[in-house]
Amino acid sequence: MKKIFALLLALIMVVGILAGCKKTPDPKPVDPTKAPEQETAAPEVTLPPMADWDGKYIERDDYKAYIKHDLDFLYATIKDQLGDTAGAVDEAMAAGKQAIDFAGTVAEVRTAYAGAYQAILDAVPTFDGLVSYKKLSNAERTDILGILERFAVTTGITGISLFENGGYVMYNPRVTLGTENFIVGYGFGILPEGNITEDLEYEANPAWKRYYHIFEANDPGTVNYLNDQGSQVGDLYAYIAASFFTNFMNETKDGYDWVPELAMEKPVAVNDDDGDGACTTWKFQVRTGADGLKYTTNSTMADRAAFNNRPVALEDYEYAFKLLLTQQNALYRGSELANTKSGAIAGAKDFYNATENGFDEAAWANVGIKTYEEGGKSYFEVTFTEEQTQFYCMYYIASSLYMPVPEEFINLVGVENYLSFNKDATESPVDNSLALGAYALEQWDSDMQIVYGKNPNYVYTDTKYAIPGVHVKIFPAAQEDTTAGFNEFIAGHFDASGIPQEYLNEYRNDPRTRNTTGDSNFKLNVNATNEETWEYLFGEEGVVTQTQKDAYWEVKPCLGNNHFVKALSLSIDRLTFANARGSIPAVDYLSSNYMSDPENGISYSTTDAHKKAIEGLIEDTDGYGYSLELAREYFRVALTELEAEGAYTPGTKENPTVIHIEIAWMRPTQEEQFHNEIKNFLETAFNDESVCGGVYQLSVDFWVGNEWDDVYYDKMMLGQFDIGFGSISGNPLDPIGFVSVLSSDQEISGGFTLNWGVDTNDPDAYPIVYEGKRYSFDALYNAVNGKAIVSEGKNEVSLSFEYTNIVKNDDGSYSGQFLIKATLPDITTITVDDIACCNYERYYNGDKQYVECYLSDPACGSFNVEDKGNGEYLVTFTVNADIAADYATGSGTSENPEGQTGFDFYYTMVFDGTEQSGLYYSVNDNFVVE
Amino acid sequence: MGKYVLKRIGLAFLTTFIILSLTYILVKLLPYERPLGGDPIQIAYFDKQYNLGYVGRYEQEMPELGKLLYKSPAFHGRSNYYYQVPVLKQYVNWLKNIITRWDWGVSKTYQPNVKASTIIMKRIGYSIRLNILSSVWAVPVGLLLGIWAALKKNSITDHIISTIVMIFIAIPSFVLISFVLRIFAYNLGWLPSTWPPDTASTWTKIKGYIIPVFCLSFAPICGYCRFTRAELCEVMESEYLLLARTKGLTRRQAIVRHALKNAMVPIFPSILAEFIGILGGSMILESLYGIPGIGKLFVLSLNYKDYDILFVDMAIFTTIALLAGVVTDLSYGFIDPRIRMGAKK
Repeated sequence: MKKIFALLLALIMVVGILAGCKKTPDPKPVDPTKAPEQETAAPEVTLPPMADWDGKYIERDDYKAYIKHDLDFLYATIKDQLGDTAGAVDEAMAAGKQAIDFAGTVAEVRTAYAGAYQAILDAVPTFDGLVSYKKLSNAERTDILGILERFAVTTGITGISLFENGGYVMYNPRVTLGTENFIVGYGFGILPEGNITEDLEYEANPAWKRYYHIFEANDPGTVNYLNDQGSQVGDLYAYIAASFFTNFMNETKDGYDWVPELAMEKPVAVNDDDGDGACTTWKFQVRTGADGLKYTTNSTMADRAAFNNRPVALEDYEYAFKLLLTQQNALYRGSELANTKSGAIAGAKDFYNATENGFDEAAWANVGIKTYEEGGKSYFEVTFTEEQTQFYCMYYIASSLYMPVPEEFINLVGVENYLSFNKDATESPVDNSLALGAYALEQWDSDMQIVYGKNPNYVYTDTKYAIPGVHVKIFPAAQEDTTAGFNEFIAGHFDASGIPQEYLNEYRNDPRTRNTTGDSNFKLNVNATNEETWEYLFGEEGVVTQTQKDAYWEVKPCLGNNHFVKALSLSIDRLTFANARGSIPAVDYLSSNYMSDPENGISYSTTDAHKKAIEGLIEDTDGYGYSLELAREYFRVALTELEAEGAYTPGTKENPTVIHIEIAWMRPTQEEQFHNEIKNFLETAFNDESVCGGVYQLSVDFWVGNEWDDVYYDKMMLGQFDIGFGSISGNPLDPIGFVSVLSSDQEISGGFTLNWGVDTNDPDAYPIVYEGKRYSFDALYNAVNGKAIVSEGKNEVSLSFEYTNIVKNDDGSYSGQFLIKATLPDITTITVDDIACCNYERYYNGDKQYVECYLSDPACGSFNVEDKGNGEYLVTFTVNADIAADYATGSGTSENPEGQTGFDFYYTMVFDGTEQSGLYYSVNDNFVVE
Repeated sequence: MGKYVLKRIGLAFLTTFIILSLTYILVKLLPYERPLGGDPIQIAYFDKQYNLGYVGRYEQEMPELGKLLYKSPAFHGRSNYYYQVPVLKQYVNWLKNIITRWDWGVSKTYQPNVKASTIIMKRIGYSIRLNILSSVWAVPVGLLLGIWAALKKNSITDHIISTIVMIFIAIPSFVLISFVLRIFAYNLGWLPSTWPPDTASTWTKIKGYIIPVFCLSFAPICGYCRFTRAELCEVMESEYLLLARTKGLTRRQAIVRHALKNAMVPIFPSILAEFIGILGGSMILESLYGIPGIGKLFVLSLNYKDYDILFVDMAIFTTIALLAGVVTDLSYGFIDPRIRMGAKK
C-alpha cells in the first residue's frame, strides 16, 4: 500500500514538475478595460485542420494571448468614444478574436489580427469637414490630449521615457518656505511668501545677513533678458522685473492664483462679438505714476539716480514694445516675439521686418499695442493675431520682457548697455537698470557676487516678499565640481542646494530636503521607420531632408516592431536608474509641470486622461514601466514575428546573430553617466538564455558627436539614428500645443520631430476616435489647437496653389497662371484682390522695398480671375514689358534661373462664413529676363 | 649681448604671433552650436549671430559654394541661408583692428559689449598677485628644504623630505585644494572656502590668499627642493669643494661661499620656469576657488565661446611665458659670468 501511495505521489510530482517546466511562463496580458469576452458568443463552425505552429520562441497559445491583448488594448483605446459605432466594433472584435483562435501559424495569427484591425477601422467612419475644438472646456481638451497621447504612446512616437529632471533640494533651516509641499508650476514660494528669521553667520556684511543666499556657477555679466537666449539671465532679471500679471500662492497653499501686478484688473474683451469668451483684442487698466508706481535704482551716478522714484508714464508701457521689436536694436527676444506663432501680436512681425534701420512710426501704427487714457484711467490694449481667451491673453502678455522703461533712460544709457555693463565697464547693471519688480540691483562685483535689495516701490512690497534681499554668489567651482555647491550649503554658506548623486543616500531623507518636480522628461527617441518610410522621409527625394545614397541609414527592422520597442521599454528599471541620480522616474511623455488647467494649476499628469493614456506602459509592471519577465516575453513575441517576416535569421548559440542598436548621446560623459546602465538593462533582458536560447544577441553601442546638439541636428532630425537621447521642452501651460513635436508633418512639428515611424496624418496608422469619428493625429491636433479641415480623417489645407512660372510674350511682356483650389468648395469662396511684383534682391540690397508695382495698376500689368467651378479659380496675369525690364536686377539668368523675384497674391477667402485675408508668395520663380 | 637680447625678444613676439594666429584659426573652425526650438528661436538665434558678425547670410541656397549652410525661415515664406564668415577673412579683420586701433574686440557672451581688454585688465591684478605671492613663498621654502635635505643627505631627515616631495610633486594643485578646503575651510572653518569679495575686511582678504597660495606653491616647493638637493649634493661631492675644505674653510663657509653659489647656476633659471608653471596651474585653481583672475577667465571664455576674450588672455599668457623664457636665458649670464649669450666663438 505504501508503495502504491509512494508511486502515486511520485506520479503527481512528475506531472506537477512537468507542468511547472513550461518553456515560457503563463502570459499575463490583462484587459484593463474588462472588455467582454466575445468568443463565447461566437457561432460554432467547422474548421479546417490547424497548420503546425512555426514560432520558435513562444507557444502558439501564448502568442495568440498577446495578440488578443493587443486587440483588447485597441478596443479599450477607442471604446469610450465609439458612440453609435460600438456595436459594429464589438462584432469586428468578436470575429477578429475567433479568427485568431483559428489561426495556425505566426503569419496566420498576424493576418487575423490585421483583418480584425481593418474591420474595426471600417466600422468607425472617418470625419469629413471643418472642425474646431479649441473653445472646448479645459476638461474636454484634456480628454482630447489624452487621446492624442495614447495614440503617441502606443505607436511609439513618444520614444521611451526615462526620467524627469526634478529631484531633491535642500534648504537652510533658517529659511521659512511659503509652503512645505511643492506646487507644480510655482515652487515653494520662498521669496514671495517665505521668510528668513535668523542671520547667516557666514555673511560678513551685516546688512546682508538676512538676504537669501544662493549661487550661480558663472557671472553672466548682464541681466539683459531682452537679448539673451538662456535661462540664467532670465532668472536674474526676474528679481527686478515686474509684469502685467503674476502668480501668488493661493490661500490654501496648494496652488496659485493669477493676479494683476502692473495691471490693475484682469483683461476685458474688446471684440468678443460671438460671446464665446475668446477674441483678438483685450484691454486692461494699468498702474502708472498716478497710482503710485515708481521706478527704483540704487545707482550712485547722478544722471541715473535722477530716475529713482520717477513715476511710470503710460507711454513707457508702449515704449517697452517699441524697444523690443525694433530690429535695429538686435534684441534676441524681440526677434523671437516677432516670429512667434503662439500668442503672436498683430503687426509685430511686419513692424520688426520694417525696422532694420530704426523705428518706423508708420509701421508701428499697425502693431496691436495701444495705450490710452479713458475716464481718467490708463489703459493698455493688445491685439493678437488669433483669438485668445482671457486666461491666455493674461498668459501671453504677462512676460516680464514687457516691463515699462522710459525712453529717456534708454537714450541715456544706450540700448547696447541697458541692463548690462558699458564698454569700459565703468557702469554696471546697477547703473543701467531700473526696477519695478520685488527687488532692485544693489551691488555687482564681477565674478564675485550680485546683490539685490528689496524694492520699496514694488506694488506688493507691503504684503509679499518679506525676505529683504537676494545674494547671488558667483561660484565657478560648481561648474568644475558637482559637489562644490553642496559642500558650501552644508557648511552653512548658502540657503539652498541640490543634492549631488554622491550624497543622495545620505541626505535623501534629511529634514532639510524637499522634493521638486521637473520641467522636462528625458527620453530615448526611436527611429522606428522601415526602409520604405525612411526613403520617403530622408531619401534622395525625401520630404524631410535629402540624403545621398551612400549616406543612407541602415534602419533596424527590430525597432519597427512595436513589441520589440515595448520590450526595450519594459527592460529599463527606471526607479533604480532615477533614484541613483536624484531624479524622478518617468514613463510619461510630458513632465509634471505641464498644466491641463493652467489657470487653476492642475497638472496634466494627475488627470484621468493621462492615466488612461499611459496604462499600456505600466500595466503589470512596477508602476514605472519595468518588468524584466514581461520584457523577455515581448522579446520572444517580437523575435517570433521578425523571423516570420524574414527580417532576421537565427544564428547558433556559438555564433549568434548579433542585433546592433546604437544609442546616440549628447556628451561623452553620458557613456558613464547613463549609457552603460541602459545598455546593461537592455542586454540583460534580451540576452537571457530564456529569450531565444542564445541564437540572437543584442549589442547596444554608444555614439556621441562633437557638439551636444549633434544628437539632434545630425542624428534625430535627419533620421540618422537608431535610438537618440534627448528632450524638448515646450510651453508648460499649453501641453496640447506642445504635442506638435510628435507629428511627422514638419509644418506642424516645426522641424523638431525626434521619433519616426508612423505617418501621423494617416488615420489608419492607429485608430484615433473622438465622438464616433476617426481622425488622424494631425487632424485632431489641428482641430483642438485651432481649426482643421479634415478629409477622410486626414488633415488638409484649406487652399492649395499651383503656380506656373511665367513666360515671355512676343511683345516683351511676361504672362503666368496661378490656380487656387479650395479643399471644401461648398463653404469656400475666393476673391483675388491684387498681385504684387516683388524684387527681393532690391530689398536685401538696402532699398527695404521689394514691391515693384501692383498688377491692379494698368501701368504695371493686368490680371484676370476665372471661376472654374468646384472651388477652382484660375488667375491669369501679365507684367508689362517695361516693368519686366526692371526685374533685371533681381532676376535669374539662363544659366541660373533661380532669381530673387516673385509674386505676392493677395486674396480674400470667405471660409465657413468667416472672411479672412490671405497671401500666397511664389518663391524663387524662374523669371528670366533675357 | 644687446643684439642677442633684441633678437630673442623679436623671436618671442614672432612666436606669440604664430601661436595666436594658429589659436584664432583653430578656435574659429570649431562647429556651431545651434539652440533647440522652433522657427522663432532659430530666426532669433541667427539674427543675433548675423548681428554679431559671426555668420554671413544668403537669401538663396548656393550649394555650389560648398559652404556649410544653415537654413532658417525668413519673411514671405522665403528662407535665409547662413554660413560662417570665412575664418581667414575674420582673421585679417581681427589683425587689422589690433594693429591699426589696438582694438581686441568686445565680449560677445561673457560680459556682452564690454571690451575684451577691459575685462582682462580688471582681472589680471588678481592673477599676478596670486602668482607672485606663490613664487615668493615657494622659492625660499623650496630652497631651504632642498639645502636641508642635501646637508642631511641619506639621513632620516633627507628620506622624509624626499618622500614628501615625491608624493606632493605628483599631486596637481587643483586636486590638493579639494583636500585643503575640506580640512581648513569646511571641517575646521579657519579659512574662507571661496575667494572673499573686494568688499570683505582686510583680515578676511588676507585669509583668502592662504589656501590658493599654499596649493599653488606646493608643487614648486617640491620642485625647488628636489632640484636644489640634487645640485647641492653634486657640488658637495666635487673636488674643488674638497680642496676648499682642505684649505681650512669650515663646512659652513665652504657650502655658503662655494657650493651654494655654484649650485644656483641651474637652479635660478628654474625659478622662472616654475613661475610659468604656476600660471598654468592657476587656471583651474582660480575656477575652483572663485578667484576672478585671468586664469579662470580663460576657462570661462572657452565655455562661453567668447573668443575675443580668449585671444587676449592667450596673448597675455603666451607673452608672459615667452618673455620669462628670454629672461631665463639671460639670467644665466648674470649668475655665471663665464656664460656669454650670443657671443662669437
